[in-house]
Amino acid sequence: MRRTFSILLRNPLSLLGLILVSAVVLSAVFADFIAPFPLHRGAVVDFANFNKPPEWPYIFGTDLVGRDLFSRILYAYRISLILGVVVLAIAVPIGVAIGLFAGYLGGWTEYVLMRITDVFLSIPPLVLAMSMMGLLEPTLTNGMIAVTAMWWPWYTRLVYNLARSEKEEGYVLAAEVIGASKLHVMFREILPNCVPSILTKMTLDLGFVILIASSLSFLGLGVQPPTPDLGSMVADGAKYLPDSWWLTVFPGLAILVAVFGFNLIGDALREILGAEQ
Amino acid sequence: MNTLRIRDLTLGFKGWSGTVEVLHGISLHIGRGERVALVGESGSGKSVTARIVLGLLQSLRSTRLSGLVEFEGRDLSKLSERERHALRGTKMSMIFQDPTSSLNPVYPILTQFHEVLRRADPAINLTGARARAEKALADVSITDPSRALDSYPFQLSGGMNQRVMIAMALANDPSLLIADEPGTALDVTVQAQTLRLMREQVERHGTSVLFISHNLGVVREFADRVYVIYKGRIAEQGPTAALFEDPRHPYTRALLDAVPRITGDGIPEIEDASDAYFAPTEVHEGYGEPEGAA
Amino acid sequence: MPPVLRLLAKRLGTSLIVLIGVSLLIFAIARVIPGDPARIALGPNATAEAIAALRERLHLDDPFVLQYGYFLADLARGDLGISLYTNRPVTRDIADYLPATLELVIVSGIMMVALGLPLGVLSARYRGSWIDHVVRMVTLLGVSAPSFVWAVILMLVFAFYLPLFPIAGRISDSYTISSVTGFLLVDTLIAGDVKAFGNAAWHIVLPAFALALSGIAQAARLTRSNMVETYERPYIEMAKSYGFPEKRIAWRYAFKPSLIPSMTIIGLDFAAMLGNAFLVEAVFAWPGLSRYGVAVILRKDLNAIVGTVLIISAMFLIVNVIVDLLIAFINPRIRYSQRAS
Repeated sequence: MRRTFSILLRNPLSLLGLILVSAVVLSAVFADFIAPFPLHRGAVVDFANFNKPPEWPYIFGTDLVGRDLFSRILYAYRISLILGVVVLAIAVPIGVAIGLFAGYLGGWTEYVLMRITDVFLSIPPLVLAMSMMGLLEPTLTNGMIAVTAMWWPWYTRLVYNLARSEKEEGYVLAAEVIGASKLHVMFREILPNCVPSILTKMTLDLGFVILIASSLSFLGLGVQPPTPDLGSMVADGAKYLPDSWWLTVFPGLAILVAVFGFNLIGDALREILGAEQ
Repeated sequence: MNTLRIRDLTLGFKGWSGTVEVLHGISLHIGRGERVALVGESGSGKSVTARIVLGLLQSLRSTRLSGLVEFEGRDLSKLSERERHALRGTKMSMIFQDPTSSLNPVYPILTQFHEVLRRADPAINLTGARARAEKALADVSITDPSRALDSYPFQLSGGMNQRVMIAMALANDPSLLIADEPGTALDVTVQAQTLRLMREQVERHGTSVLFISHNLGVVREFADRVYVIYKGRIAEQGPTAALFEDPRHPYTRALLDAVPRITGDGIPEIEDASDAYFAPTEVHEGYGEPEGAA
Repeated sequence: MPPVLRLLAKRLGTSLIVLIGVSLLIFAIARVIPGDPARIALGPNATAEAIAALRERLHLDDPFVLQYGYFLADLARGDLGISLYTNRPVTRDIADYLPATLELVIVSGIMMVALGLPLGVLSARYRGSWIDHVVRMVTLLGVSAPSFVWAVILMLVFAFYLPLFPIAGRISDSYTISSVTGFLLVDTLIAGDVKAFGNAAWHIVLPAFALALSGIAQAARLTRSNMVETYERPYIEMAKSYGFPEKRIAWRYAFKPSLIPSMTIIGLDFAAMLGNAFLVEAVFAWPGLSRYGVAVILRKDLNAIVGTVLIISAMFLIVNVIVDLLIAFINPRIRYSQRAS
C-alpha cells in the first residue's frame, strides 16, 4: 500500500491526478470555508450582479440570478462526491457478491445470475438511469438508486471473469482439498485476489459516476434546483451561448478536471497493481 | 569458411542506472554443417547471442555492442540494416521454445508458410507455396500435409506445430539454423522425437546449427561441439564427447553433477556464483577459436 | 449448418432471451412506481371517469403478470401501445425519431473506429515516444468529460468563434428532401441531390464528433494496450526473426490478433453512444429520439418509455451480435469451436 502510494507520487501524471483529486475533494469538504459566497448554493437572487463575466470577486462569473459560479461549483462537487461514494458503496458489494457466486459456483446459478446481469448490461447505461429517474421522483436519493442500478453489473462482470480464472488456480484447489467451505473459498481465497482489480475500477468509476450523474441532471433528470449541480449548470448555460460562455465552460471544465484526476490515478493504479480491465 | 564466427563479443544494455553488461567478450564459431550447442542457465546470455546473430538487437537504442560477428565471412556490423534484414528468414532462420505460441493464432499454417517462402522467392503465389509447403511437411513426417496446412495452430498438437516450425525453418535452405531451447514447452518424449527429426533434416540439408539449451542431456545427443556459457563468459569449449567425459571447468562440473538421472526437463540446480566459476575458458585440445581472418 | 450460421443462431437466441428480460425489467419498473400513471397522463383536471377509462385501457387494474401478458401479446404483433404524450402509436413515434438518432450514432461509430484504431496503433508502434505520450494524454482527456461538455465546447469553438460548421439541426431549411429511409445522408443521395447531401454531411460533423470523442479515446486506449501486449507474444518475435516486413508484422501479427479483445469493448462503447446521443442531440437541437425520450420520461408516459427503452436495447443487442460475428470472423478459434458445441 505504502509502496503503491510512493510510486504514484513519483510518476508526474499520477502525481497530477493526486493533486487534482485532492483539490476536488478538499474543496468539496471545505466548501463552507473556501466559497466566497456560501449562501449562493441555495435559492439566492442578486439581480444587481447577474450574468457577470469572470471578474473579482466572481472569478468564474455569475449566473442569471446573480449567484457566484465558483461557489456553486464547490458545492456541486460536494454533492457529486457524496453521490459517487454512496453509489459505489452499494453497487460494489452487490456486484462483487453476485460475480463471485456466478463465477465460482457455475451451473444454473451462473446461467441465471449472468443472464440477469446481461439484461442490465444491454440497456445503455444512461438510458436505464434516465428511465428510472423519470419514473421515480428526481431527488438525490433516487438519483443514487438509479445510478446504482446501472452500476453493479459492471462489477459482476469483472469479478465473474476473475473468479472463473482464479478457481482453476492451485491455491483454490488446495483450499478445496482440505475441505474449506464454498463461502470460505469465495470470500477468503478468491476475493482477496480480485481486490487490486476492484480497487482500480472503483478509482476510475468515482470519476465516471460523477460523469453520469451530471449527464442525468443535464437532461433535467437529476438533482433539482436550487441545489447546485454541474450538469444542470451546463444545461442552463447552453441556452446563452456564446455570449455568456462562462455559464457552461466553467461547470464543464469542473467535470473534466474531476474525472480526469480520477482517471489519471486509476490508470496508474492499473499499471502498478497489474489489474484486469 | 565458417558459417558463423563470433569474436570478443560484448553486449550491454543502457538503462537509467548506467549500462548493464550482459556479454563479456565471448568467442565462438560454427563450421559448415556443424551442430554447435551453447549451454547455460537462463540469464547467462545465450538467448541474446542468438538475437545478435539475427540482427534483432542492433536496432535497439539501448544496446551497446562491440566485437565481431561474421556470417559467411561478412561482418554483420558493416552491413546496413537492409542487408541484415535480407539475411533473416533466407540465410538464417530460427526455431523457438514453444511452437504453438510462436505461430500466429489468427492465420492458418499455409498463410504463414507462404509468408516464409516469400522471403526467398517474393513472386511465389499461394498455389506454388502450397506445393512446396506440402513437400516440406511430408519431409518432417506429417502424414496429411494438406490438412495441416489448412489448420490453425490451435488445432494442431504441440508436436505437430514443432514439426511445422522445423519445416518452415528449413524451407528456404538457410545456411544457419538457430534453435533456441527448441521444444522445451513440449512433453519429454515428443521433444526427443522432434529433435531426432530436426537432426535428420539438418543433416540432409547440410545446415549449420546453433543450438541453445540448458538441458545437457539433449545437447549430448544433438551437438558435435559444445560451448558452456556462464554469466556472459565462455567457461569451457570442446567436442561433446570429450566435454562430457572430462569436464575441466568447475562450472561445467557443477552443471554436469546437477543433471537429473533421467534425462528430462528442469533447470539444473546449481549453487550460486562460486569464484572458481569465473576461471578462464577451458579449451579442449585442438578445439580453440580460429585465429585471424576466416 | 456452417459454424458461422450456428453461432449467429445461438447469439440471436440469447439476445432474444435477454431482450425479453429487458422488457420484463423495464415493464416492472414502470408499473411499480408510486402514483397513478393514468392521473399523471391526463393531468390534474381529468374527471374520474376519464381516469377510470384510461386505467381500463392500460389494464392497470389487472394483476402484474396479466398486464405483462397483454404487453407481450401486443408486442408480438408489433404494437407498443399509444403514447399518452403524442396520442399516436409509440411505434409510429419511434419510427419518426429513430432514424435521425441512428444516423448520428452510426456516423459516430464510424468515426470511433476510423480514428480510434489508427491512433491506438500509432501509439503502440511508437510506444514511449512523444507521439505515444500525446495520444495517451489526449485520449485520457477524451474519456474524462461527458459528451455534452464536448458538444458545448465544440459548438463554441467551431460554430460560434470559428463559424466553420452550422450551430444546430440536420440540414438547412432551404432543402426539402422526401423521406425514404429517414437517413438524410441516404435520402439526399436517393434524391440525387449532391448539394443537399453535402449540406447534411456538413451538419452532422460536429454532433457526431462530439458523440464519438469518448469512443475514439476509448478505442485508441484499448487498441494501444492490447497491441502493446500482443507485441510481447512469441509469434511477433518469430515474424521478426524471419524478417517479415515491418508493416506486415504491425498489421497482420500485432494489430489483427489484438483486435479480438478490443472489439467487444468497442461494441459496448457503441451502446454507450446510443445513450449519450440523448446528450448531444439536446445541445445541437438534433431532431432525434432524445427530445421525445426526455419528454415522455418527464411525463411518465409508460408505453412510450417502455417502447423507447426496448427499441434502444434491441439496437444494442443487434450491434453486439454483429460484433460477435466480426470477432468470429477474425478469431478462428471461436469460429471452429462452434463445431464442437
